[in-house]
Amino acid sequence: MPKYALHFGATLENLPLIRYFVQQRLKPHLPDSIQLNQVTVAVEELCSNSILHANKEDPTRQLRLQLHIQKKAIHIYLHDPAPPYDIHSYPSEPQLLRKGTLRPGGFGIYLMRKFIDRIHVRRGKRDGSIYHMVKEIS
Amino acid sequence: MQVEVQPGMNGHFTVKLSGELDALTAPRLYEKLTQLVQQNPGIQKITLHCSGLTYLSSAGAGILLMSMDNFTPKGISLELTQVQPEVYNVLDMLGLTKLMTITHA
Repeated sequence: MPKYALHFGATLENLPLIRYFVQQRLKPHLPDSIQLNQVTVAVEELCSNSILHANKEDPTRQLRLQLHIQKKAIHIYLHDPAPPYDIHSYPSEPQLLRKGTLRPGGFGIYLMRKFIDRIHVRRGKRDGSIYHMVKEIS
Repeated sequence: MQVEVQPGMNGHFTVKLSGELDALTAPRLYEKLTQLVQQNPGIQKITLHCSGLTYLSSAGAGILLMSMDNFTPKGISLELTQVQPEVYNVLDMLGLTKLMTITHA
């Protein structure tokens, strides 16, 4: 089963590169353009959270994105040098919908959870964290 | 991302967007829209023409929401037209299609 990896520094300038990597590698496995876009958005949200919040946009900090494509699922791993945060501690709906206000808080994590079937977070073997997202494919 | 402002009649401006609206480019769009409003006191409506907008992340959606939140009290309406299906899907998932006038490509 194919495995792909992308190493990148923690800067938002790398977002187009991340999108290109995901779309090029997953397009043969996700022919539906909406579904491909949903996975791309979920991966970008995960990466931009790590870049902005965990690594404070320090381009010297290196992250590794891996795609493992299996027959029934796509496994996405993000290896982050920063400590993990608990994705599941965020509200299950964006604040916009939950409170009826116009505050866009929690949009990114909400999209990740909507567009991906499972998300796991664990500490790395030595340090940092590993985020693991699973998208089931039919 | 490319942003092209086209003045219209009766305080109606069209802003053509093309490219990708993400955490990197969204602040630039917000700055452009804010400048547009500041420089045109008689502005009543902004139509974002999105046929060339190929990607939108949560940061882009957040900027659209923030713009609407800031412009509505000034009597300025914001609408999106010709939105591509992939971008519409993200806006719809976040509930923005219920808050703003958004039409498909």
